[in-house]
Amino acid sequence: MHRDSLVRSTPFRLAVAFAVMVVVAFALTGIAVHKLVEWELRRYQDKTIRETYSVIADAYGDSDLQDMLEAVEMNVRATRGMDRIFEVTSADRRFLGGNVRDFDVPDGWSDIKGRAIGREPDLAYRVYAGMVDGNRVVVGTSQQENDSIQEILASSFAWATVLVAVLAVSGGAALAARVRRRFNAVGDTMHAVSRGRLSARIPSLGNGDDIDALARDINDALARLEHTVEGMRQVSADIAHDLKTPLNRLRLTIEEALDREAHGLSVGEALVEAAVEADRINETFEALLRISQIEAGSRKTRFGPVDLGAILEFLIEVYRDVADDAGQSLFFDRRAGAYPPLSGDRELLTQMFANLIENAIRHCPAGTTLTVKLQNDPQGLVARFEDDGPGIPEAEREKVFRRLYRLEKSRTSPGSGLGLSLVKAVADLHDAAIELNDMKPGLGVVIRFRPDPRVCAA
Amino acid sequence: MRILYIEDDAKTAERVARGFAEVGHVCDVVADGEDGLFQAMRESYDVLVIDRMLPGLDGLSLVRSLRAAGRKIPALFLTSVGGIDDRVEGLEAGGDDYLVKPFAFSELQARVNALARRPPPVSVQTILQVADLKMDLVRRRVRRGETDIELQPREFTLLEVLMRNEGRIVTRTMLLERVWEFHFDPRTSVVETHVSRLRAKVDKPFATPLIHTVRNVGYSLHAPR
Repeated sequence: MHRDSLVRSTPFRLAVAFAVMVVVAFALTGIAVHKLVEWELRRYQDKTIRETYSVIADAYGDSDLQDMLEAVEMNVRATRGMDRIFEVTSADRRFLGGNVRDFDVPDGWSDIKGRAIGREPDLAYRVYAGMVDGNRVVVGTSQQENDSIQEILASSFAWATVLVAVLAVSGGAALAARVRRRFNAVGDTMHAVSRGRLSARIPSLGNGDDIDALARDINDALARLEHTVEGMRQVSADIAHDLKTPLNRLRLTIEEALDREAHGLSVGEALVEAAVEADRINETFEALLRISQIEAGSRKTRFGPVDLGAILEFLIEVYRDVADDAGQSLFFDRRAGAYPPLSGDRELLTQMFANLIENAIRHCPAGTTLTVKLQNDPQGLVARFEDDGPGIPEAEREKVFRRLYRLEKSRTSPGSGLGLSLVKAVADLHDAAIELNDMKPGLGVVIRFRPDPRVCAA
Repeated sequence: MRILYIEDDAKTAERVARGFAEVGHVCDVVADGEDGLFQAMRESYDVLVIDRMLPGLDGLSLVRSLRAAGRKIPALFLTSVGGIDDRVEGLEAGGDDYLVKPFAFSELQARVNALARRPPPVSVQTILQVADLKMDLVRRRVRRGETDIELQPREFTLLEVLMRNEGRIVTRTMLLERVWEFHFDPRTSVVETHVSRLRAKVDKPFATPLIHTVRNVGYSLHAPR
């Protein structure tokens, strides 16, 4: 696997995108809060100004200008250092009291700058002006306090945003690194597999998350792959073994023929023997190829609805006379009533059943009764091939079983071994279970088919 | 008979061509698929024998091209791989028969003979006759001389295949394929058993046998010579 930088990894990119979204959301929230606070502060300021104005106006009482001026003076003193402004002027615009003078504002609310009243020029003031019995009263407050509160707020938000950004990116990077480590584990495994180590598996955390599920799927696929490759390796080994021996015999036969020819003897017999040997080699080769093809599962593409009863009936018809010639009796005991067709490969099923019947005919002596049964169990169709022949001795049975369940490495008679291996391969392809029973006396081969969910549902 | 054999293995080709020449046929050999297609289009042959795996153009594509060009010349495929799906593919591509390598020359010869003299499919025969043996395909009845012969359905098919190939050899494998649709080699004497049952009905009660055994190859049904 390519080890690109963390920055280019998908999880990191996702983390960065997420961090950017978080920061933007946070900044937008900051702006909204700033606006809201500004609005609230202004409202509060206006309320304070208004109250102060009312107190001063109330002091006027019954045309007592002096009281009002005193109230103004008190307020000026009380608010020293708080940058509040007061002014009282007479109707003819004469200065009567206050801490600022000579400026002009309309009645009601207005915003003015410090330079208009001889204070710090850029400072903003909020002022309220009104008439109290012909005298004009102006009350105002500088915005400095509000501005500084908002400044603090803005800078807090700015710092918080930076912090959020740093946390989001570093947290994202940490998470991304974690995810990446797991992806790397997948990559390492695939790398090992592509290098030929098919037993490599992706370590699972067992937490059931999607990467775990993916790892499980890949591991399953790898297990199947390993199984298939192992099967192929086995087949090659089998071919080597099963073909080397007869090839050797063939060679010896030809040598013998050459020898005989050198001595002027007839070679016809040796040549016939060689031809037979060549046929046997071919037969073994065909059987092995067929089994490996079936095991690879490629035949499933040729699956269609098949009627097991019809196949068995046909085979009984074919083999009844063959059994008869061997002094045996072959019966078909069809107990299955109506049953849905099975999804399968008719040709292979025919060959499998034919193999089982032929095995019985070939391995049983004259006088044996062979019975083929088809039953419709609740679990599905069951085909039984029973005989009352000698059966298989206990010790031998073990061997047959092994040969049946695994392509045995040491095969001595390719005939029966491959026959049963083929039966097993076809049964496996059809998801059918196969078992050997002792019929006391005799042998019973049972093949249990599973009901086909697709056909049942239809 | 003129046979075109498209095969890239020189040794096999030489042996087969010599075999056909010995029995009086003309067999042209081409080693390349494209040359083979060219040759098959230019000259007129009775049968094509084509290896599936060829340099230039594979056997399947060759026959597809021929069929697309409207050539109905009978074609036999030689396949070397297992033959499980190959057979179906070959027949789907327009092949008329197939044979799995390695094959016996007698087998190839019997199949080529059967293909070359296959009656044109347009003329529907309803009565087959060899000497005094008559088969009515519509009523599904068999008579020899004045005697009716009762046959099982599969025996009827077996006799039909033999009669349709009157005078030619029908191999064991051909019978297995055509009568029982077995595409594998049974380990028991299926063919022998059924042929002997058929003989017991068709030949035994009569003076002259019609079904003849060709040793190590198969059977041939013909009038006494």
